[in-house]
Amino acid sequence: MLFNLLPRIRRRQLLLTLIPAAAAFIAACGTGNPQDTFETAGPVAERQASLFMFIFWIAVVVFVLVEGGIIFITLKYRRKSDSEMPKQTHGNTRLEITWTIIPALIIVAIAIPTIKTLWDLKAPPADEPSMTIEAIGHQWWFEFRYPGEEIITANELRVPVGTNVIVKLESQDVIHSFWVPQLFGKVDMVPTRVNQLWFRADEPGSFYGQCAEFCGISHGLMRFRVIAEPQEQYEAWVASMSRPPVTPVVGSAEERGQTVFNNNCTSCHTANSYRAGGYAQAISTQDGLWSGWVKATQDGDVPSVVSAPNLTHFGTRTTLAAGIRELNKTTLVEWIRDPSSMKPGTRMQELAAVYQAKGDHTANLEPSQVSDLADYLLSLVPVEADAVPTPVAGDPVEIGKAAFASAGCSGCHSTGSDTRTGPGLAGIATRAETRVPGLSADQYIGESIRDPGKFVVDGFSPVMPKFDGVLSNAEIDGLIAYLKTLN
Amino acid sequence: MAHQAITEYHAEVHDTTYNTSTGLSNRKLLMWAFLASDVMFFGTFIATYLVYRNRSLVGPYPENVLDIPITTVSTFVLLMSSLSMVLALHYVRDGAKISGRFWIFVTAALGIVFIGFQVVEFYTFVNEGLTPVTNLFGTTFFILTGFHGAHVTIGILWLLFLLFGHFKGTLRSDNSLDLEIAGLYWHFVDIVWIVIFTVVYLVTANDGAPPGAPPFIGPHG
Amino acid sequence: MTTTTLTLPRIFKRPKSETGIWSWIGTVDHKRIGTMYGIISFFWLLVGGFEALMIRAQLAQADSELVSAETYNQLFTMHGTTMVFLVVMPLSAAFFNWLIPLQIGARDVAFPRMNSLSLWLFLFGGLVVNAGWLTGEAPNGGWFGYAPNSGIAFNPGHGMTYWALGLSILGIASIAAGLNFIVTIFNMRAPGMSLFKMPVFTWMTLITSILLVLAIPVIGVALIQIGTDRLYDTNFYNSLKGGDPVLWQHMFWLFGHPEVYILILPAMGIVSEVLPTFARKPLFGYDFVIFSGIGIAFMGWFVWSHHMFTVGLGPAANSAFAISTMAIAIPTGVKILNWMATLVRGSIKLNVAMLFSISFIAMFTIGGLSGVMHASAPTDAQQQDTYFVVAHFHYVLFGGAMMAIFSGTYFWWPKMTGWMLNERIGMVMWFTILLGFNMQFAPMHWLGMDGMPRRIFTYSSDQGWESLNAIASAGGLVIAIGILLFIFNVFYSRKKRVMAGNDPWDARTLEWSIPSPPPHYNFETIPQVQHRDDFWYQKYPELLEHEEGHAPSGAQEDLHLEAPSGGSDDDHGHGIHLPDMSYYPLLVSLGVTLGLAGLMAGLWLTVIGAVIGLWGVFGWSLEPVNDPTPGADH
Repeated sequence: MLFNLLPRIRRRQLLLTLIPAAAAFIAACGTGNPQDTFETAGPVAERQASLFMFIFWIAVVVFVLVEGGIIFITLKYRRKSDSEMPKQTHGNTRLEITWTIIPALIIVAIAIPTIKTLWDLKAPPADEPSMTIEAIGHQWWFEFRYPGEEIITANELRVPVGTNVIVKLESQDVIHSFWVPQLFGKVDMVPTRVNQLWFRADEPGSFYGQCAEFCGISHGLMRFRVIAEPQEQYEAWVASMSRPPVTPVVGSAEERGQTVFNNNCTSCHTANSYRAGGYAQAISTQDGLWSGWVKATQDGDVPSVVSAPNLTHFGTRTTLAAGIRELNKTTLVEWIRDPSSMKPGTRMQELAAVYQAKGDHTANLEPSQVSDLADYLLSLVPVEADAVPTPVAGDPVEIGKAAFASAGCSGCHSTGSDTRTGPGLAGIATRAETRVPGLSADQYIGESIRDPGKFVVDGFSPVMPKFDGVLSNAEIDGLIAYLKTLN
Repeated sequence: MAHQAITEYHAEVHDTTYNTSTGLSNRKLLMWAFLASDVMFFGTFIATYLVYRNRSLVGPYPENVLDIPITTVSTFVLLMSSLSMVLALHYVRDGAKISGRFWIFVTAALGIVFIGFQVVEFYTFVNEGLTPVTNLFGTTFFILTGFHGAHVTIGILWLLFLLFGHFKGTLRSDNSLDLEIAGLYWHFVDIVWIVIFTVVYLVTANDGAPPGAPPFIGPHG
Repeated sequence: MTTTTLTLPRIFKRPKSETGIWSWIGTVDHKRIGTMYGIISFFWLLVGGFEALMIRAQLAQADSELVSAETYNQLFTMHGTTMVFLVVMPLSAAFFNWLIPLQIGARDVAFPRMNSLSLWLFLFGGLVVNAGWLTGEAPNGGWFGYAPNSGIAFNPGHGMTYWALGLSILGIASIAAGLNFIVTIFNMRAPGMSLFKMPVFTWMTLITSILLVLAIPVIGVALIQIGTDRLYDTNFYNSLKGGDPVLWQHMFWLFGHPEVYILILPAMGIVSEVLPTFARKPLFGYDFVIFSGIGIAFMGWFVWSHHMFTVGLGPAANSAFAISTMAIAIPTGVKILNWMATLVRGSIKLNVAMLFSISFIAMFTIGGLSGVMHASAPTDAQQQDTYFVVAHFHYVLFGGAMMAIFSGTYFWWPKMTGWMLNERIGMVMWFTILLGFNMQFAPMHWLGMDGMPRRIFTYSSDQGWESLNAIASAGGLVIAIGILLFIFNVFYSRKKRVMAGNDPWDARTLEWSIPSPPPHYNFETIPQVQHRDDFWYQKYPELLEHEEGHAPSGAQEDLHLEAPSGGSDDDHGHGIHLPDMSYYPLLVSLGVTLGLAGLMAGLWLTVIGAVIGLWGVFGWSLEPVNDPTPGADH
């Protein structure tokens, strides 16, 4: 009865209305949005998009024929009188064979370029130079490691324009998926496995990426950026990552913030991987932190540590909390005070002691301390190439004290007798004397720093990273001297 | 001659035509369909076991605990119960009361012996440090053989129920189909065990520590 | 012959009453069971629909804080679980139950009490899956429950345990139902109805049942594994102890893809009944439709890894699964073209049932085309886990399965109730649903290609997805209006009570030859079947004469062993023996449910469940199908 109201539509008119509909689809593609899979910026996404368009146009033809056919048939063969009885046809084998073969041919036409593309995109062309990066998924942020350049960073992947980048994909916890729509289709990050993809950014820009596999409460807030820069700019960035940050002025907010950082954050966060050997140490630390989390979880305890984003030269980043906010003082203060208000389920707030003291689980810090900490973090930018300070010789205790803070010891060890992740170090000089028969206090402390796995004190997890080759001999000697002063 | 014998055999087995579209009894068809479903069930568990072969991160590994001679005995026991099941059905069909009861009882008893072996085996393994939470081998082994044991146990209960019915007169030669269906189930569970025995005890029995995993020292040093 | 019977002490009387609540609780009548399946799953449709509306409300704008991240994850997990396991599957089961005995000329299914068991397990399973809403811990790991995110290490709490236990119970229900319909269809056909004279809906039910019986054990095992992982600390999917998360995916999708056809084949069966009826023509290419159904079901086992193109299985595996997946488009295409050919030169009556069936073809085709797009693994790398995929499977499952279910509802409603649903309201409902459906799901194609991932509880305005999401959310409201119109139509038409008579549609199959609603024994005399669409040719015998060479008598390979009809003493309704009612299926299902729930709640509950369950099993085994001494309880 509804259709009786419609004017009779002829076949040609029908097709003429369907074709614009398909054209509208195409017109709507290319929205200019940051995750548009049609606005490609590299060869991988481009091949994937062009294969899509090929299949799409075949689909448009089928769509127009079938949908047009349905409407045409429905309108044309409407019942005119209740007594009419159409001819009773049961089938037609020749017709059936025809319309089995035609879809089969279409499928073959789609399958051939599909398989060709699949194998072509397996790896970058062998004759072109490439670089390798490791990307590790964590709940809910991404860690990036540059094994060749010895750089470790988080949530912002810097790559040179025009270079093929191979990305090894791993996950520490659950399954994530690594995806930058404008550069490449996704590949999953699966724990216990190493996957691989490659891409090339053909133009500079900051490309949006996002986790594409449901990975727990804040899956929707697990984003990242790929920042593609011209070769020289990229190389300058690589060089800057091995220079120290600007030293806070004595008495400044940054210096006070540094103290807050050292007292509350360094159990999990490292900010000094610019140092020689810092990369190896950071990786060792990450693995140790993760083992600590796993062990506590499996023992049914509440973990006190978990692997966390490396904050070296944090001030050079553009985004905060895995690409979900612009990085500035306001957002950073908000994040430090109550991270879960920005990203539910954040492990930092769940585990770090500083968030457990207050009933509402916000940071147990004065507003001024939060502000200082933000200032400090934002000040973490490399010094100019000509301003790298030369190490000065001096009092071993002073060197040791500095190393204690900068190497992150204070994250796990108090200088008093209270236990954190590791034992409190007051009185270590006396205890070290008798710990292992045949080792002097100096030897015991030195070995415990170089290879902590050797003598783990009962009741503690073997989570402390090795510092052999990470700290210089002078620093280790300084640490021994400094630690022996603790009472 | 042989042909005649086969025909007679078929005549004996298919002496009843049921009032259904296929001529098969509904319940027998149900059992066959259920067994097809159960093939998928055990197939999935066995596949899991094989996928996780040599992937345990710690011991004990199969070579540390599996005892092939003893399991061969229990396998033989279960195989014999299939034979006694055939005899039980034969005598119940013939209306031979004492023999029928005897062989139903023997079948159930052999099943109980098999379960006894399994209980001892599980107990021994736990003593040697292998539980379902120890490693992937423990998890896949216990859950697979445990579900098989549960199937055998259900079969034993079913047989005892039928034995009781035989005494009471509810299981007779004219409705021996009840026993035949239980027999189908029993033989199936037997066949599944042969597969499990082959896969777990013959193929993977010598698996030790996979590359990268520590050797197994044992709970007592 | 004298029969000795064993009896358990009777704690309560065997149910006898034919009216009132107890007559429904103790029923073994396939029609009543079908009705209860329908009502319960319609309730879950409203629940799942409400969850969908909440999801759409949250996503209607960027940075929305309407629901929390945790609640959102629970909502989409339960929306998917509910719609698949508690709506589309059991709505199909409602049609199976109602129609299969009627279409094959039987008085009930092969195992009426087992049928009742399936129903109660379905009811309890649904309650267990949803129990988490009451404790605030609804399942939150996705309907696909990917490990290790669904494991205890990363997902403490009870949510996913409810999910695993509830789905296990639903799985038992599905296997029991599948077994029942396999036996019923093979064994209970009226004399003369060979396999190739069966209605297409019966065929699709048979294929679906076989898929259920073979596919559910696979997910059953996976659920047992994730369940023991969560409850007893086993290591199947504990990646921290070497468990392989990818194995879960293989298991889930080895079940999951046949499951897709479990959802869609019954819908194809419904459409294959409705189209010929309202075109007044036999289904074009009956054998090809049947064989492509079998082909789809068979090939459905070899395509599962297309859900895992991004897992990193390598180009060789991806090529193989891309090809097998594309190949499935061939039998599907054959079906679509046969349905269209059925309409050609027909006499098409455009009523509500027909409009829904035609919409099924139109919408399902769109879902099929986008399906071919992500069968191509390289393009799928951009589509996997985006809204493009959400659009695809809603076009298949809503545009496909649900449209067919609405069509079947309007078609068979008069047979089930005896009165007609109002056509005019139905037309408005059809238009509303079709419009709302396309408003909601068509924009998702663009959203997906614009990079919007699935299962994100929020997005930021700089991602540029706001307007399309707003349109989609508005579409959700339009669909809701359509559903409300359906409810209104039921009550309105019930009041008007336009009686249907035996055969309101001039239809084709046996169910239309008996009164509406059918008497509880269905057929006074078991029919003798001579032709495919037997009832049609009983009404129009003259049509047979024009059909030399194409006689609709079915293929020659008649598996039917000339069996006598259901007994010559059954000529009158009064002499028909139907299975008596029974409470034991309810007891067994209650025992199973409590027993499994006890694994989580405590051993005492498992013991109670085991006692109830064993009592039910023994009572069941000892209870005669027909009470030999009627009236003994009085």
